[in-house]
Amino acid sequence: MDITEYIMLVFTDYTLRTITLGTAILGAVTGMLGSFAVLRKQSLLGDAISHAALPGIAIVFLITGAKDSNVLLLGALVSGLIGTFWIRGIISKTHLKSDTALGLILSLFFGFGMLLLTFIQKQPNANQAGLDKYLFGQAATLVESDVWLMAIVTGICLMILLLFWKEFKMLLFDSDFTKTLGFNTKFIDILITSFIVLAIVLGLQTVGVVLMSAMLLAPAAAARQWTNRLSVMVFLSALFGAFSGVFGTAVSASQNNLSTGPVIVIIAGVFVLISFVFSPSRGLLFKQIRFIKNRRDLQLHKTLAFMFRIAETHENISHPHSIKILNNFQGFTKGTLQKLVQKNYVQLNGNMWSLTREGYKTASNLYNQQTENNE
Amino acid sequence: MSSAQIEIQLIASLVAISCAIPGTFLVLRKMAMISDAISHSILPGIVIGFFITQDLNSPLLILLAAITGIITVILVEYIQKTGLVKEDTAIGLVFPILFSIGVILIAKNANDVHLDVDAVLLGELAFAPFDRLLISGIDIGPKSLWVIGFILLITIGLLFAFFKELKVSTFDPGLAASLGFSPAIIHYGLMTVSSVTTVGAFDAVGAILVVALMIAPAATAYLLTTDLKRMLIYAIGFGVLSAITGYWLAHYLDASIAGSITTVLGLVFLMVYLFAPNKGVIAVLYREKQQRTEVSLLTFLLHLKNHNEESERHVNHLNEHINWQKVRSKSVLDLALKNNMIQLDDNIVSLTEKGDEFTSQAIDYIITNEDAQIEDMKDDFFLFRG
Repeated sequence: MDITEYIMLVFTDYTLRTITLGTAILGAVTGMLGSFAVLRKQSLLGDAISHAALPGIAIVFLITGAKDSNVLLLGALVSGLIGTFWIRGIISKTHLKSDTALGLILSLFFGFGMLLLTFIQKQPNANQAGLDKYLFGQAATLVESDVWLMAIVTGICLMILLLFWKEFKMLLFDSDFTKTLGFNTKFIDILITSFIVLAIVLGLQTVGVVLMSAMLLAPAAAARQWTNRLSVMVFLSALFGAFSGVFGTAVSASQNNLSTGPVIVIIAGVFVLISFVFSPSRGLLFKQIRFIKNRRDLQLHKTLAFMFRIAETHENISHPHSIKILNNFQGFTKGTLQKLVQKNYVQLNGNMWSLTREGYKTASNLYNQQTENNE
Repeated sequence: MSSAQIEIQLIASLVAISCAIPGTFLVLRKMAMISDAISHSILPGIVIGFFITQDLNSPLLILLAAITGIITVILVEYIQKTGLVKEDTAIGLVFPILFSIGVILIAKNANDVHLDVDAVLLGELAFAPFDRLLISGIDIGPKSLWVIGFILLITIGLLFAFFKELKVSTFDPGLAASLGFSPAIIHYGLMTVSSVTTVGAFDAVGAILVVALMIAPAATAYLLTTDLKRMLIYAIGFGVLSAITGYWLAHYLDASIAGSITTVLGLVFLMVYLFAPNKGVIAVLYREKQQRTEVSLLTFLLHLKNHNEESERHVNHLNEHINWQKVRSKSVLDLALKNNMIQLDDNIVSLTEKGDEFTSQAIDYIITNEDAQIEDMKDDFFLFRG
């Protein structure tokens, strides 16, 4: 199946449309909330929460014996929240650091979840097959009601986000200030964390516990590179997330044997890579270009200053000198000399160079400026 | 106990020990999440190694996977150095992507070979005894026993050889650097050992549960002691204990061995987290409550010292003035009385000599913040003890 065929199918095929919509909405909501996680330096919290949700799913299944995804997700939510609050407890009450707390909760909850899952697998209940789809997620199992659930949750998230926008923003950048203004920071904190947990739990069915954290981080990390405004970042992040979802579904649908979750993660990773390299203000490429340009400018200045020193000793500033004497120092290249000529600072005459009046003036000012700056 | 059971427990214990050693240092160096990242991102290394060697226990595969682990660390550090994102985001970005590549590689190519994602996540300790190492036709034990035993031997050798260097660079990187130990070499050495251990343990307990075996025993031990040697010993002890108990739990429940080992680790951690003598939650909460009372006591005494008028020192007035609830003011009053800091005449409170002296000392301490002045007070006064 190639891409055009896929686009045709999205509009006609029920399953594909559902999956595409589902992953797009999921990407949008995780991207949106992921911005907060990334900015709050809680990037790895997502990883911990998604792993911590596993025992919740298993326990709910053990109790109810049914595989209703909504009820299972409720279990995941509770278990994820317990994990989150335990992490906070460990950090605030003991001297263990946040990384240890995250790693602990992540691995311990996951291990417990795996114990329960393998225990369930040995049970004679025929209904149990397919619970392990929560490990890696199976977008193919999405049905319309799941998508509706996602859409509703996204709507609620969006509403809460708009309602508490000011508070969230302030808490993000200056929590102490927020506290002094009389806001209940604990409540806002718990609110945003709970919604992050909710978004993660929502994605478990599609992407799975192992890769869910990337869904949260990658769009936000990519969006961060393009802007310094929170609102733009949240919007871009949601956009990147949605596109990762759609492209990921498209790629995995057009190939055999490709599960959707990993593909979405890799597409999101590509977004991150592109943003890291090509973002105009922060990207590595432009940073490198600026760096090289600065270095060239500096070299130009160095050559000019050097010439100025020589010209200074002569009465006639345009007295010609041999190019050879410039070789004594390293900043000089044919290119820099050519550039100086272009700027009309220097005149070339065969093997000789001479400073123009303009060049002399610039060079002396350059020198003055430098000393002023030094003082 | 059959010989297979003994072998499984032996393998599990060795895995626990060889995880606990680097784990202790990772926890102390605040790099616990790196182990999570490594354990995920070695997957593509394992898959590629498996395609080449077709053997999960081959040294080449372990080497390849360990290299992937080190690449992860380097990649994380590179991204962090660009300053585009914070360290935790860098970790969170790198490993899911590498893991995804691994999963896709498996899905695309490994349909007909024995390597599935479940095995990668969980490992299968129960099958370990069936994969025997034969040398010139003689059975000398399970392969994974030899692999993990060898890794453990190297780890212990390195630990003894570089204990001093590790210790110094963990607690004071600046000092270590100035003494001439290269922090980079120690850092990457530790990362290499962690990667190799992860790969070796992978077969037995799977990708994610390696993390549990690395972090949980060390974190549990850290709650009980602040001595590095003791912490290592405790961590190893907890690891082995959980490994063996976990095996029997799994045996009883007929469930995944790795999962039940982790569960036992979790229970042990929970117990210590709650009940550790000094750093457990209950001890901390108790101490916090104590401190709150003592701060109240101090406030109360200061108030008394500042007011000589009788009207200000009436019990009822104090209630209003310091704005405490009835119960709290009563408990503070009782505490002060019990310590002979105040005396009550007809509901008028006044400081005794002892109380007066104590209060002045406390003020001095608060103002100067010098330890020496209150050395003798520390015993009966909880607040200043640290």
